[in-house]
Amino acid sequence: SGELYCSLPNPRNVRFESINMKNVLHWSAPEGTGDGVLYKVKYAVYGVGKWIRKPECRNINRTWCDLSSETSDYKEQYYASVKAFLNGACSDWMETTRFNPLTDTKIDPPMVSVSSTDRSISIILTAPEKWKRSPEEESISLLQVYPGLQYNVSVLNKKTKKRWFFSISNNTLVVPWLEPGTAYCVSAQIHVTTPVLDSGFSKEHCITTLKDK
Amino acid sequence: GACRVSMSMTEIRAGFAAIKANIQSRDPIRTLSILSHPHSLHKVQSSDRCCITYQLFTFYVDKVFKHCRTEDSFVNRKISSIANSFLSARRRLGQCREQNNCVCGEESTEKFKQILANYEGLNVTSAAMKSLGELDILLDWMEKSR
Repeated sequence: SGELYCSLPNPRNVRFESINMKNVLHWSAPEGTGDGVLYKVKYAVYGVGKWIRKPECRNINRTWCDLSSETSDYKEQYYASVKAFLNGACSDWMETTRFNPLTDTKIDPPMVSVSSTDRSISIILTAPEKWKRSPEEESISLLQVYPGLQYNVSVLNKKTKKRWFFSISNNTLVVPWLEPGTAYCVSAQIHVTTPVLDSGFSKEHCITTLKDK
Repeated sequence: GACRVSMSMTEIRAGFAAIKANIQSRDPIRTLSILSHPHSLHKVQSSDRCCITYQLFTFYVDKVFKHCRTEDSFVNRKISSIANSFLSARRRLGQCREQNNCVCGEESTEKFKQILANYEGLNVTSAAMKSLGELDILLDWMEKSR
C-alpha cells in the first residue's frame, strides 16, 4: 500500500485521555519529523481477535482521534494504535496500554445550585453525564455508572472564613443554623469510593442568607 | 437468604492499580481474554452470581496468585496482599455455601468451564499473568452486580 519501509521514528506517548468517558486517543509526533507527517489509527476490543481501522482518522495530520463511539461500552477494555507516514516511509504501530473506561476516565465536578432562607442554605448537586454520541441519545448519569458515587461539599462563611465539609450520598444538602444576611460560598467534588475516582472541586457558588425578618 | 460477603474492595483496587501497568505489560496477547470473552461476566444471571464469585475466588487463589511471582518485590508484595484479601473473602463465602445459599446453576457452571478452558489454552505462567491482569474485569463486575 505504498509503504516502502518502516524506518520513520515512532509516534510517542500514545495514550487515551478520557473525561466522563469521552475517550480520545492522543499522541506526540515522532521525534525530529517536523511538518507533513500523516497518521492512521486502529483499535481493538481486548479479548477479541481483530484490529479495527478508524476511517475518520486515516491520513490525518492532527495528533488525536476521538474513539469515544468505539469505546463506549465500559464493560469492555480496549487497545488503540497509531502509525506515522512521511514521504513514503512509515513508523511501527505504537500501542496504548490497556484502557478500561470505567477506571481510567476522569470525572468532571458536579453542577451546584444553591438557594437560601434567612438561616439555611439548600444545595442541589448534579453529577455529570456519561459522554453520548448525540444530544438525542438517552442520557446516562455517572451516578448510574458508579453506584458508589458520593459528593464532598465545602461550605465557607465569607465573613468568619469558617469552612465546613460534608460527605453525602444523595444529591441534596440543607445546611441549617446559619447567620442571616451573611454570604456563604459552596463548592463540591465527586468522590467514587470504588474504583477510586475523584473529580476536582467545582467553582464556588456564593449566596447571601436573607436578612432577619 | 442471599450471601453478602464484605471485602476490602478499595484496598484491592488500590493494590491492583499500583501494579496494573506492570502486570498487563507482561501479557502480550490482545486477542484472548480469560474472563470476558467469548461470554461476558455481565451476562451471568443474579441467581448464579454467588456461585460464580466463589468459583472465581477459588480460581484466583488456587490457579493464579501462586503462579505470578515476579522479579519485582513491590509487585510481589501487592500480589500477596490481594491474595490474602481473596483468601479471607473466599473463606466467608464458603460458609455461605455450606448453608446452601450459593447454588450453582447450569449457566455459572458453563461460564466457569469456559474460563478454565481459556486459562488452560495458555501455558501456566502466561495464563496466570493474564488472569491477574484482568482482575479489574472481575472487580468491575462484582461492583456492578452488587
